Amino acid sequence: MQSLDRVFEKSARSLAKRTSRRSLLASLGQLLTGAALLPLLPIDRTARAQSPGPHAQSPAAGAKPTAEEQNCDYWKYCAIDGFLCACCGGTSTSCPPGTQTSPITWIGTCHNPGDGRDYIVSYNDCCGKVSCGDCFCNRNEGEKPMYRLSRNNDVNWCMANTESNYHCSVSVILGVAEK
Amino acid sequence: MLLALVASTAAPMAAAATGPQPPPLPTEHLTVAQVGPKSPHWVYVLDYAFNNEIDSRVYLFDGDTYRRMGQIDAGFLPGVNISPDGKTTAVATTYFARGGHGARTDVVEFNDNTTLAKTGEIVIPPKHAQTLAMLFTVAFSADGRFLYVPYLTPAASFGVLDPARKTVLSEIDTAGCTLVIPWGPNRVSSICESGRLLTVTLDAAGHEAARTTSDPWFDPDKDPVFAQGVPLTDGYAYISFLGQVHEVDFTNPKPAMRAPWSLVTAQEKGTWRPGGVQIGAVHRSLGKLFIPMHRGGEGSHKVGGSEIWVFDLKSHQRTARWPVNTQQTGAVVSVQVSQDAAPLLFAATEKADLLVLDASSGRLKHDEKKLGQTPQLLLNP
Repeated sequence: MQSLDRVFEKSARSLAKRTSRRSLLASLGQLLTGAALLPLLPIDRTARAQSPGPHAQSPAAGAKPTAEEQNCDYWKYCAIDGFLCACCGGTSTSCPPGTQTSPITWIGTCHNPGDGRDYIVSYNDCCGKVSCGDCFCNRNEGEKPMYRLSRNNDVNWCMANTESNYHCSVSVILGVAEK
Repeated sequence: MLLALVASTAAPMAAAATGPQPPPLPTEHLTVAQVGPKSPHWVYVLDYAFNNEIDSRVYLFDGDTYRRMGQIDAGFLPGVNISPDGKTTAVATTYFARGGHGARTDVVEFNDNTTLAKTGEIVIPPKHAQTLAMLFTVAFSADGRFLYVPYLTPAASFGVLDPARKTVLSEIDTAGCTLVIPWGPNRVSSICESGRLLTVTLDAAGHEAARTTSDPWFDPDKDPVFAQGVPLTDGYAYISFLGQVHEVDFTNPKPAMRAPWSLVTAQEKGTWRPGGVQIGAVHRSLGKLFIPMHRGGEGSHKVGGSEIWVFDLKSHQRTARWPVNTQQTGAVVSVQVSQDAAPLLFAATEKADLLVLDASSGRLKHDEKKLGQTPQLLLNP
């Protein structure tokens, strides 16, 4: 699943750099004719994101989450709905040991008061174990009902995983939101 | 165990010291309780058990005796609904082969509402839409002949099932539109991202015979509607985040959208908002609409009501505002009203309480503390 993640992430970031949301949707519409069963959301959801620049370093083995990452008020959590993985053995950007990352996600647009910028944030679920049950956090800025799926935080985003049980949720910056 | 043994041997000695023993208790017989005759004041309460979601369940609760009468198991992120004749509860759900993990099996289970026992099942493709409590994640046709289950992979489609023969009849692609809104004996609508309604008409075999797409009838960007429609006598009411009521008439071959009306005045708009999970209930013969309302801003659409507002569906006038003691009970996230002449209003709260109110006066009759973990969908018998 990690390699799948990277494929989706790479294509999404690349698409985001070179196309507008409207033209992306038009292209997807053409692509979709006769192919309605392809899972498309991983591409669509980052269409407003600019290139984020160099990736932040992945957390080292055993990296501890900050207190901020365990707090529901953390700005990156503005549209999260679930248990914070930072309270479950992971961090705000890493799933707990032994779980799987979801290759498909919902997204939010969150304002970082630290630098005054709005960021596109991907809320991946971590999958394959029963509910973490700690640090429940539900915020819904820009969240939309299920008919606007890529903005919906009620569905189980582990749905496409081999192990589709829901454990917890992370919040990953994809890039600065276009104005 | 040792303490219990000591206690049981010590008690007769103490009795012997103070006088003759009373006659022994009669022998008891182990039985299984019966549900008894159906009451309009029952309510089926779906608790999706958020802290251990593989263990969702439905409680049957009596609003007159305030008694929990039994339980139906519901698996992982289920859809739950009741057949038109009231005899069956259908649960569309997922089980994992080894509890929390392992091979996924999706199934619709049928439960007899007179015994609360499971009576049958249909194994379906492993892609039923796993989401929080909604009326439209499994639904019967009006005559009970078909059962519809939305699929999400995340590509969207729905399955048509035959509950009598326990078979899957078809799968119908919905071009990204989601949920199953049943109407009549053979039509299913789904809400689309663009604010349109897709409607599929089925033939006698449960296959697609025709489809239509409506014009957009709400603005999903500026003022989206809650996907949780409220059943009316002739269709459904869709409430928007800002309090617009979009009534959709489903009695004709094509759904007809009536002119929207507002729950709030111009001064209240944007300040007082509907919110929660099951964000409205209608007493259909009395024409009353009940909505949990709160003070909030953008992003507060899942915040429960600090008040319940009551509206007359004909005049669109607000007829009452009932404050909720949120300190004591938690804010109201879901409402349902019994359909009889002396109706009860049921309200599930953020603290997992189930409130029973007189639906005529708003008087709180009972506060059932902690009915499960996250009780959020309320169904009439």
